[in-house]
Amino acid sequence: MKRKIACVALMALLCAVTVAGSASAQLNWKQFQGTEIRFLMNKHPFTTFIEPKIPDFEKLTGIKVVFEVFPEDQYRNKRTIELNAGGKLDGYMIMPGQDDLYYWKAGWLQPLDAFIADPKLTDAAWDPKDFFQSFTKASTVDGKQIGVVINAETSLLSYRKDLFDQFKLKVPTTMKELEETAKFFYGKEVDGKKMVGITLRGKGAAATSQWVDFLYSFGGSWTTPQGKSNLAGAGTVASFKFYGDLLKNYGPEGGTMLHWAESTSVFMEGKAAMIYDANVFKSLYENPKESKVAGRIGYAVIPAGPAGSVPHVSNWSLSINKNSAPERQKAAWLFIQWATNKPNALGALLAGVPAGRASAWDSPEYKSKDTQPDWTANTKKSFELGQPQWNPPVINVPEIRDITGQVIVDAIQGKDVEASAKKAAELMDKKMEL
Amino acid sequence: MSTALSTISRFIDRRQALVYPAPAVIVLFLIVVLPIGFNLYLAFTKWTVGLGQPRFIGVDNFIDLVSDERVWNGVKVMVYFSGLSLFLELVLGLLIALYFNREFRGSEIVQTIYIFPFAATPVAVALIWRIMLNPEIGVLNYLLRSIGLPGSLWVSSEQTVVLSLVLVDVWKWTPMITLIVLAGLKSLPPDPYEAARIDGASALQIFWHITLPLIRPVLIAALMLRSLDNLKEFDMIYTITQGGPGTSSETLYLYSYLVGFGFFKAGYGSALMVVVFLIVLVFNVVMNRLRLSR
Repeated sequence: MKRKIACVALMALLCAVTVAGSASAQLNWKQFQGTEIRFLMNKHPFTTFIEPKIPDFEKLTGIKVVFEVFPEDQYRNKRTIELNAGGKLDGYMIMPGQDDLYYWKAGWLQPLDAFIADPKLTDAAWDPKDFFQSFTKASTVDGKQIGVVINAETSLLSYRKDLFDQFKLKVPTTMKELEETAKFFYGKEVDGKKMVGITLRGKGAAATSQWVDFLYSFGGSWTTPQGKSNLAGAGTVASFKFYGDLLKNYGPEGGTMLHWAESTSVFMEGKAAMIYDANVFKSLYENPKESKVAGRIGYAVIPAGPAGSVPHVSNWSLSINKNSAPERQKAAWLFIQWATNKPNALGALLAGVPAGRASAWDSPEYKSKDTQPDWTANTKKSFELGQPQWNPPVINVPEIRDITGQVIVDAIQGKDVEASAKKAAELMDKKMEL
Repeated sequence: MSTALSTISRFIDRRQALVYPAPAVIVLFLIVVLPIGFNLYLAFTKWTVGLGQPRFIGVDNFIDLVSDERVWNGVKVMVYFSGLSLFLELVLGLLIALYFNREFRGSEIVQTIYIFPFAATPVAVALIWRIMLNPEIGVLNYLLRSIGLPGSLWVSSEQTVVLSLVLVDVWKWTPMITLIVLAGLKSLPPDPYEAARIDGASALQIFWHITLPLIRPVLIAALMLRSLDNLKEFDMIYTITQGGPGTSSETLYLYSYLVGFGFFKAGYGSALMVVVFLIVLVFNVVMNRLRLSR
């Protein structure tokens, strides 16, 4: 009985807060009542989090939201094809670092600045300053904001804390120490299993999003200041060599076929001492149902190379289709605004989706429930160090990633990296579209 | 009203040959001829999906593809994969059909179990193979190691990837060849065999001089049917390797998919598809000649 009363009281309080929140603003949430909007979504933890909450939004606004969710590979294809066909699509998820130049040039991204500035369309409580600036910058093309971050990512070095303690090792802070530590573990028997030192993505184009952190940390870059390919530059070649050698010498067999799913499963099987991949995979590593190493992992930012410690930051954003009707665009904006408000950013973070809002990370709710403060501290540190240009600065990103991925594959196979990089640079210069 | 109806009915009566197949012809036109025609048109244009309209550039795409290393690699992989898998499927399919073409206890059950692989959904089967072929956690290496043999890298090595894919293809499609050849064997006339046996011919002689020549058109028909799918094998290779490691299992067909739907370069991708189409066409014209020639 007491619990029931407590529940009712809590709900009343929540209602009061919501009502107070909407009453104080000038925004009329009901202004697009009866409109139907359609969103294409990637099958992503954020989608899983927000989808069950849509009825709340529909109740608040009277707007009907249709969600269509697809697994990532099919999602990217479907989104491009639908936008090109000009069907009734109002909003979608996008990784700006991957697709913004292409979509911007194709005219599929609606600038949001006018919506954000209009008090009739944007609640004062939405507070755009609360978003990490690196992610807002990453969602901006030609000075126009084209998306609102829903998932903020970076990559971390995750390692087996228990083994590091057992063998009295310190966490590598330089690339040299990283290699030594990987070497130390490679071939060692732990719990009857032969260990590998480290596992990384090695599957061509899929590996470039993690290799890029080594690229920057070794002082390389995608392009030269003159806008030519820099794949054959000294720092870039050094990063290819280091990454390839690390995986070839101290990684699992068949490194060239490791995508994130394969790489993370080697780590979760307890067969690798370290892994370098997206920080969001913490939710996999720490899930005892999936992972044999849950609760025994430590986290660190990428070890420093000759150019320091330079991880990338990337994000998923929600964007509006420029070709959708103005009325529906505004309704879609209300939806995006609601989906990225402070309570939802916090809720998503509590559900394991790294939020792009500082307030969520700093909230007492999150801090009190945070079981991996180590991960939180290093994620935030990585956000600060982060370089948003995690993809080549071109329109045809997948094609250039594919070309770059071939050098990574060659490096893992122990081929002549200089020659391969030179060939890739020539090809990139030929194919690059700016 | 009734006159209108009777006019229509008279029209239909007089032109039955035109009217009855019309719906099928129209649908076929819409879903086969039109897309192929559009593909052919795109092959002579430069067009990235979404960025402007297709721009006519003549034969530039075809000039580009001659100097594109990935194209030659794709052709090489295609010849290697298809040549080996078609050859093995044909030989094994024929041998197994000969074995089944006798009366033995439980032959129906054995034959039914035998066709399971080719009755199964390709992508589901490929996903299972992908796990079985994994060098770290796959069952194949577990089995090899449990009898003291070294494991293989299977699809994770440039050297063994195509062979591993051939293994999967042969496992899946040999039963189809067997079924077709078996049907052919069952319909062979008994007289030449009786005559040969009376003349004292050995089993090998009978096979070489009677069965093989008689079954040849069926074998070629089976090969043609199989090659149509095999030359543009996609689902199995895409599911297991996506063309990797690197590009070592990337057939021309996979590359054209990547260009079209990965890079969204519809013009160049269409040109690649035209090349694949021509290869399949030429192969089948040659086979058809072989089938009809004596």
